[in-house]
Amino acid sequence: MVTVFGTYIRSKREKLKLEDKSYTLRQVAGRIGVEPSYLSKIERGEQPPPSEKKISALAEDLNENPDVLLAMAGKVSTDLQEIIRQRPELFSQLIKELKDLPDHAVLKLVREVRDGTW
Amino acid sequence: MLELKQGELVFTFPEIHPDAKLTVSLHRTLRIPDDGQTYPLPPSFGTFPLKHVDDYSATIPERWKQHGGLMFPMYQSEALWIQFSSKYLNDHNSKYPFAVKIATGKINAITGTAWNTDLSNRPQDYLVAPEQPWLDGYCVKKGLVRQFVAMPLGSGYSAEEQLTGKSEIGGLQIIVYPMKNSAFLKRFPERRPFGTDMGDMLFQSAPSTCESKPDMGIAPGGRMKQEIYEDPYDFDDWDLNVSNRCFIHSTNSLVWRGITGEEPPTVPPTSKEYQLQGLPWFDYYGEQALPVKGSGILNSMKSIFTLGGKKGGNPLPENESVKVDSVVKISKDQIREGDF
Repeated sequence: MVTVFGTYIRSKREKLKLEDKSYTLRQVAGRIGVEPSYLSKIERGEQPPPSEKKISALAEDLNENPDVLLAMAGKVSTDLQEIIRQRPELFSQLIKELKDLPDHAVLKLVREVRDGTW
Repeated sequence: MLELKQGELVFTFPEIHPDAKLTVSLHRTLRIPDDGQTYPLPPSFGTFPLKHVDDYSATIPERWKQHGGLMFPMYQSEALWIQFSSKYLNDHNSKYPFAVKIATGKINAITGTAWNTDLSNRPQDYLVAPEQPWLDGYCVKKGLVRQFVAMPLGSGYSAEEQLTGKSEIGGLQIIVYPMKNSAFLKRFPERRPFGTDMGDMLFQSAPSTCESKPDMGIAPGGRMKQEIYEDPYDFDDWDLNVSNRCFIHSTNSLVWRGITGEEPPTVPPTSKEYQLQGLPWFDYYGEQALPVKGSGILNSMKSIFTLGGKKGGNPLPENESVKVDSVVKISKDQIREGDF
C-alpha cells in the first residue's frame, strides 16, 4: 500500500540522488542505521514508517524538517508531546483555535527576540 | 524576524526570500593558552544556554531590559566561538548568503571600530556567512585572531574597556543583512523551476563577584590561526534596507544562578587537560577564499596575560602552554567537536 510518507521520502531521495550519488537507497539506509531492504519497504509502503529516532535521522540526511516528516508518518515528536503534556488544556485549546487560521496569521504568534534600545 | 530556537538564533527574512534563513549559535570552548604562541582552532563543548532576558525581568538589571535580547552564562575559564549555518538550497546550488557584523561591548570584532548599524567595505567590517563558518575571536592580523574570552566587565580587560576606557555596554552584538533577492537569483539562478519541495511547505538578589556590574565582558585571549574572508560578492548585492539585530548579554555563573535559578553548564577543561586526552584541534581550509588584513586597532589591544602582568595580578591561573599534536584539517560543513 502506497503511503504519503514512503512516497515522499523516495521522491526526495531520488531528487537528491540526481545531484549527489551518495543518495542511493543503500547509502541512505547505511547512514541512518537500517537495512536497505527495510528502507525500500518503507518507501514502497510495505512497512509502516520507522521510529521517531530513525525518522529524525532520515530528516537530517534528506535535509528535511523532522516535524514535517513525523507528521507525514502520523507521529508527533517527543519534545512536542512533552510541551503539550505540561499544559494540556491550554495547548489543546490553542491548537484547536489556530487550526483554521492562514499560515501568515499563525506566524504572527511566533515569539521573536525583542530588540530594545542600545 | 529573529527567533530563539533550540538554543540557536534564527534570523529569517521571508520578505526577501523564503529560504533566507541564517542560524547563529554560540559554542562553549576551552581557553587556549595566552602565551604568545599561535594555536589551532579549539573544539566545541556544546552551545551556551541562551535565554530571553524578558523571561527574567524581575531579576535582571534595568539596562538589560532596555537592551532587550538574550543572555547566557560564561565562566571566566571558558571561551566562545560563533557558528553560522544555513540550509543548502538544491534548486540554487548554494546557501543563501548574508553579511554579518559582530561586536563585543559595541566594538566591531573585525575592524575594532565603534558599533554602527551600517555596513562598510572600506575596510570590510563584516563577514560573509555561511561562507565564513565560524568566528573565534578578534581579527588582529591577516589569518590571526585573538580568542573571545570572558572577563568581568569593569576589570579593565575587555575589548570595550581597552579601546574606549569605559565599561558600559558588555555583551555581544550581532546584526545580519541578507543578500538582495535580485542579486541572489542572478548569482544563483533556480535550476529546476518546476521542482517541488514539500519541506518548504535578580540582579538585586543575585550575588555578584564583580565590583558593580553583573556582566561579563568579552576580552582578547590567546592567539589562534583563523582567516576572516574577504567578501566574494559585490557590495551592492547586500540589502542594506533589511536587517535584524540582537544584543546578547553575558554574565558569570553565580549571577546566572541568581537570575534564573538554574545551573550553568559545567566548567570546560583546560587546554592542558584537553591535550592530555589526545583529542583533536582543528584547522579550517577555506578553499580559494582570500583573508582580510586584520585590524591595527584590535592588534593594539593587550592580551589578558600581558595586561594582568602590568596590573600586578594573575587573571589566568591555568594558562600553561600546550604542545598540540593532533590537528584535524576540515573544510566546509564539517563539524568541530571535542568529545571530552
